[in-house]
Amino acid sequence: MKPIVRVSGLAARAGESILIDGVNFEVWPGQVTALVGASGSGKTTSALALLGEHGDGVSLSGQVEVDGDVVVNSNGPTAAAAAVRGRVVAYMPQHPGSALNPARRIGTSLHELAKLHAGATRAAGEAGNASGLRGAGGVVGTIVAEALRGAQLGGDRGTLRRFPHQFSGGQRQRVALAQALVCRPRVLVLDEPSTGLDSITRLQLVSELEELAEQGLGILLLSHDLDLVRALAQHVVVLAAGRAIESGGPEILPTAPRPTGAKGTPALAEPLLQAMNLSASLRPRGRDPILREVDLAVVPGGCLGIVGRSGSGKTTLARCLAGLHERYTGRITLAGQDLPVLRKRTPEQNRRVQYVWQEVRGSFDERLPVDEQVARTAQRLRGLDRQTARAEAVSTLARLGVSAMIASRPPSRLSGGELQRAALARALLARPDVLVCDEITTALDEHGTGLVIDLLTELTAQGTALVWISHDLGLVAAVSDHVLVLDAGRVVEQGPPATVMNEPCIEVTQRLVRAARVGHEPEEPPPVLTSCADTRSEPQR
Amino acid sequence: MRARTPLVVSAALVLIPLLVALFGPLLNLDSRPGLPYESGSGHPLGTDGLGRDVLELLLVGGRTALGMALGAVAIAYLLGGVIGLVAASTRHRWIDELLIRPLDVLLPLPSLLVISVVAVGWRASPLAITLAVAMVNVPTVARLVRAAALEAASGPVVEALRMQRESWVGIHLGYVGRAVLGPVAADVGTRITLAVFLVASVNFLGLGLSPTAPDWAVSVSRNREGLLLQPWAVLAPALMLVAFTLGFNLLADRLVHRTRRLVEVDR
Amino acid sequence: MRSYAAQRAALAILQLAALSVLVFVLTALLPGDAADMRFTETLTPDQVARLREQLGLDEPAFERFTHWFGNVLSGDLGTSLISGGPVLDIVKASVGATLVLTLATLAVVIPLAVALGILMGTRENGRLDRTLTSITLGLSAIPDFVIAVVLVALFSLKLGWLPATWVGGSLLASPALLVLPVAVLLGRTVCLLSRQVRAGTINALHADYVVQARRLGVPRRRLLLRHVLPNAAVPGVQELARTGDTLLGGVLVVEAIFAIPGFATALVDGVETRDVPVVQGLTLVLAVAALLINLGADLVCNRLVPRTELLR
Repeated sequence: MKPIVRVSGLAARAGESILIDGVNFEVWPGQVTALVGASGSGKTTSALALLGEHGDGVSLSGQVEVDGDVVVNSNGPTAAAAAVRGRVVAYMPQHPGSALNPARRIGTSLHELAKLHAGATRAAGEAGNASGLRGAGGVVGTIVAEALRGAQLGGDRGTLRRFPHQFSGGQRQRVALAQALVCRPRVLVLDEPSTGLDSITRLQLVSELEELAEQGLGILLLSHDLDLVRALAQHVVVLAAGRAIESGGPEILPTAPRPTGAKGTPALAEPLLQAMNLSASLRPRGRDPILREVDLAVVPGGCLGIVGRSGSGKTTLARCLAGLHERYTGRITLAGQDLPVLRKRTPEQNRRVQYVWQEVRGSFDERLPVDEQVARTAQRLRGLDRQTARAEAVSTLARLGVSAMIASRPPSRLSGGELQRAALARALLARPDVLVCDEITTALDEHGTGLVIDLLTELTAQGTALVWISHDLGLVAAVSDHVLVLDAGRVVEQGPPATVMNEPCIEVTQRLVRAARVGHEPEEPPPVLTSCADTRSEPQR
Repeated sequence: MRARTPLVVSAALVLIPLLVALFGPLLNLDSRPGLPYESGSGHPLGTDGLGRDVLELLLVGGRTALGMALGAVAIAYLLGGVIGLVAASTRHRWIDELLIRPLDVLLPLPSLLVISVVAVGWRASPLAITLAVAMVNVPTVARLVRAAALEAASGPVVEALRMQRESWVGIHLGYVGRAVLGPVAADVGTRITLAVFLVASVNFLGLGLSPTAPDWAVSVSRNREGLLLQPWAVLAPALMLVAFTLGFNLLADRLVHRTRRLVEVDR
Repeated sequence: MRSYAAQRAALAILQLAALSVLVFVLTALLPGDAADMRFTETLTPDQVARLREQLGLDEPAFERFTHWFGNVLSGDLGTSLISGGPVLDIVKASVGATLVLTLATLAVVIPLAVALGILMGTRENGRLDRTLTSITLGLSAIPDFVIAVVLVALFSLKLGWLPATWVGGSLLASPALLVLPVAVLLGRTVCLLSRQVRAGTINALHADYVVQARRLGVPRRRLLLRHVLPNAAVPGVQELARTGDTLLGGVLVVEAIFAIPGFATALVDGVETRDVPVVQGLTLVLAVAALLINLGADLVCNRLVPRTELLR
C-alpha cells in the first residue's frame, strides 16, 4: 500500500532561526499518523507544509510528495501545491468553529466547496452543464449530504439554511469538519482536535475518527494529548524543538500512569461546608434551571470530587459555593452557620472559602504584575502589610514552580500553565479552610500537575477541605475521598472513588469511566454490576 | 512597519497653534490700523478686509477657535464618561436602560445642523455653542465608555477582585477606570478634531460669533474675497486650523497603532 | 418571532416620536419668538402682544405640540410665520437642490471610496497603501470650508474655469456648477469612507474563515469577491450612514459659499427669523431622513452579516 503523503528531510527556516529540521513522516490511507510534541515543537509548521503554506518570511525546503505530486522541493513550495489544497489534503485548524464565515449560510459554503472540488471529478463532467448548480445539482447535493453524515450532523434543508452563529459551539466544530470532508480529500489533517473537549466528547471524537479512517481517509493528527494519540495512531513521530527525535508505533510513547482509586478514607468528622437542596438557575424566578436539588458535604481535610460533562452544572455549583452565583434556592452552611452570597459575607467568611478559576487568563488584571495581584489577597483578607504579603506570595509561587522573576511580570508574559498556578497561589494566600478548584489542571503538563497535587495534599493533611471539579474522572478519582457525579444538574451517583471507577451504576458514569481510560488500555467489557447501592439523590430518569 | 511621520513633527503641528491660542493674547503688538488688504509696511502678514493687522488677529483668534472646541470635548467626556460608567457598573438593568436609551434618540441628528440651530438661536453666545457641541458628542462618548466599562466589569477579573474583598473604589475606579482609559485615549483625537471642525464651520458661516470677531474661522470667511489680493489674511488662520487638526489626527493615529500592536503581542 | 428588522423598525419609530418632542422643545426654548423678531422697533408692546396672539404663540406649550403633531401626521407641516405660505412648499422648493448635491456626491464617493479602500486593504502596508493613507489622513484634516475657499479662489477667480455661484435655474441644467461644490463635499467623505473600507478589508482578509477557505482550495479571486467583500463592506456601510451626518454639515457650508438656496439654508434662515413652524417642519423632515438612512444601513449590515438580536 502506497502512502498518500511522503515527507522527507522537511526543514523550515525564518532568517537565522530554525523552525523545523529533518522531519520525516508518511500518511497511509485508512491509517492515523500522529505528530506529537509540546506547543512550539513544529507540528503545525510541518503539517502546513503539505499545503505548501508557510508563515511570513519562512522558507521551506526538503521533499514533500502528496498523491504523487511534489508539493515542496529544495526551493520551497512548487506550483503543484495550490492544486492539493482541499482536493487532496484538508486542514482543520485548532479552533475550527471560528473558521466559519459568519455571513454565509453553511449550505452555501458547503455547496461552493463541493462544486469547486467536484468539478475536477468525472461526476461533474457527466452532469454536462458547467454553469450553475442545476446541472451538477444532484451530484453536489449528494456530496454535501455525505459530508454532513461523516461529520455526524443532520442534513435536512433547515440545517443547511442556518448561519454559523445559530449553532452551538460543539456543532460548529462539526460544521467545520463537514466543510473539510465535502472537498473529498484523501488526507485529513487535524490540529489539536481535543483542545477544550471534555472526556466524553473526546471519547466520541475517537470513535468518529476511527470511522473516517475505516472509509479510507488518511489522517494526520497533531496533538500533545498522549491519551488521544495512544488510542488512535498506528504511526507516531515525536517532535521536540523542531526535530524529530523518535518515530515508530504507539509503543514509543511513555506509558500512561493508570488512574487508581487510591484514596478512600471514609468521612467521620463533622462536615465543614455543606449544601442542602441546592437548586440554581440562570435567569430570575427559576427559569433556565441548571442545578436541581444537590446535596453535598465536605469535611476538614477531606477532598470532594465533582465530575460531569460540560454543561452538567459543575461550574455553577462551584460558583454557588464561592458565592459568585446568586440565583439559587436551598442552603449553604459553613461550620453550621449560614453562608450567604459573596456580597453579604463577612470578611472572615470571605477568607475561609476561596475559589480558583477555570478560565485563567481572563481573571488577572493585564496591567499589574502577577506577584502583586497574588499578594493582594493576603493584604485584603489577612491584614498583612505589603512586604510580608509579597514575600509570602513569592514563596508560595515558588513552591508551585513559578520563579520570582517570572512572577514579577504582567500576566501576558506568563504561559497558561504558570498563570493557572498563580491563580491557585492567589487563593491560597488567604489561608482558606475550604478551597474550591475548578478544572485547575487542564492547562498543566504532568510536572505542573504533580506540583499542584503535592501542595494540595499537604494542605488537606493540615485540615483544609478541598472541592475538586473536573470532567476527568481518572484524575478526580486519584485525588478525592469521595466522588459526586453530576448530570444535567443532578447528582446521579456518588461514592468512594474505587467504587465509582470499578463499579459504575449509571450509564453516564460508565461513559465517564470509559472516557477516562482512553489511550490507557484496550476496550474492556462493561464492568459487572455487583451491588449498586442507591446513592443517587433522586429517582433514575 | 510603515514609516510614520516623526513624533516631533506631529507634536509641533499641534503645539504651535495651541501655544499661539493660549499665549497670543498676552503679546501686545499694538499695531496701527492700515488699508484693507495691504501687505508690507509694518504688517508682516499684511492686513485684512477691515485694515486690521493679520498677525495681531492671528494671536488673538485662537482662543475662540480652539477654546470652544476643547472645552466642549472636556464637557462631553465628563458628562458622557460619568453616564457611561454608571450605566455599566449598576446592577440594576433598568438604570442602564434609562440612561442610555434616551441618548440613542439623539444619535441620528446631524451635528452641524443642530449646532447651527443653537448658534443662530442664541446668537453670539460662545457658551451656548460650546454646550451644544458637547451635547452632540455626549451620546457617542457615553456609549464608548459604557462598552469598555461593561467589558471590564463583567469579566472574571472583577470577580477575582471581589473574592479578594477589594474595595468598591479599587474595583470600579481602579481596574474598570484603567480599562476605559485605552478606548478613550484612542477616541480623543477624533473627537477633538471633529469639535474643531464643527465650531470652525459654525463660525465660518457667521452663525455664531459676530462677523468682526478675530476668530480664525471667521477670518477665513470674512477675508475670502481678498484671497488673491492678500492671501495671508486667509491662509494664516487657515494654516493654524489645519496644522492643529492634522497634527492631532497624526498623533491619534499613532496612538491607535501602538495600542493595537500591544494587543497583538499579547496573543 | 421578533426578527431583527422588526425590532430595529420599532426602535426607529420610538426615536422619531422622541425626536419630534425634542425638536418642539428646542424651538420653544429659543430666546425670543417670531413676534419679537418682526417689526419690534415699529410696534408698541400692545401691538406685539396682539401679533403674538394672532400667530397663536400664546397658547400653552402642550396644546401647541398636540396641534402640530396632529397636523404633521395628516401631512400638514404648518404655515410659515414669515411668508404665510405652507411649510411644505418651502420644503419642496429647497429640497431639490440639496438632494441633487447630496446624490451627486454619493454617486462619486461610493465607488471611489470602495475602490480605494479595497485597493489599500489588499496591499496593506505596501507603498501604494502607505501613500494613499498619508494622503487621506492629510486631506481629512482640512475643514471643508478651507477646501472650498481655496478651490473657489483657484478655479473660479484665478482661472475662471468654473462658476463660483449659483445664478438661477435648475442645478442639474448646468453641471459645471456642480463640480466645485461636489469636489468640496467629496474631500473629507472620501477619506473617511475609504479608510473604513480599508479597515474592513484588512480585517476580513486576516479573518480565520478566509484563511481556512484558502486552505481548502478556494481560488483567490472568488475568495475576494464572495468571502471578503461582504464582511469588509460592513464597516463601510456603517460609515456611510455617518457620512450622512458629515454630508449634511458639508451641504450647509457649500450652500452658503456657493449661494445655493437649499434645504440647510432654508432651515438656518428659519431659525434666524424665528419662523418656528418652518424650523420644526424642516427639522422633522431632516430627522426622518436621518432615521431612515440609519435604519437602512443597519438593515443592510444585518443582511450582510446576520445577527439575532438588536445591536446595542
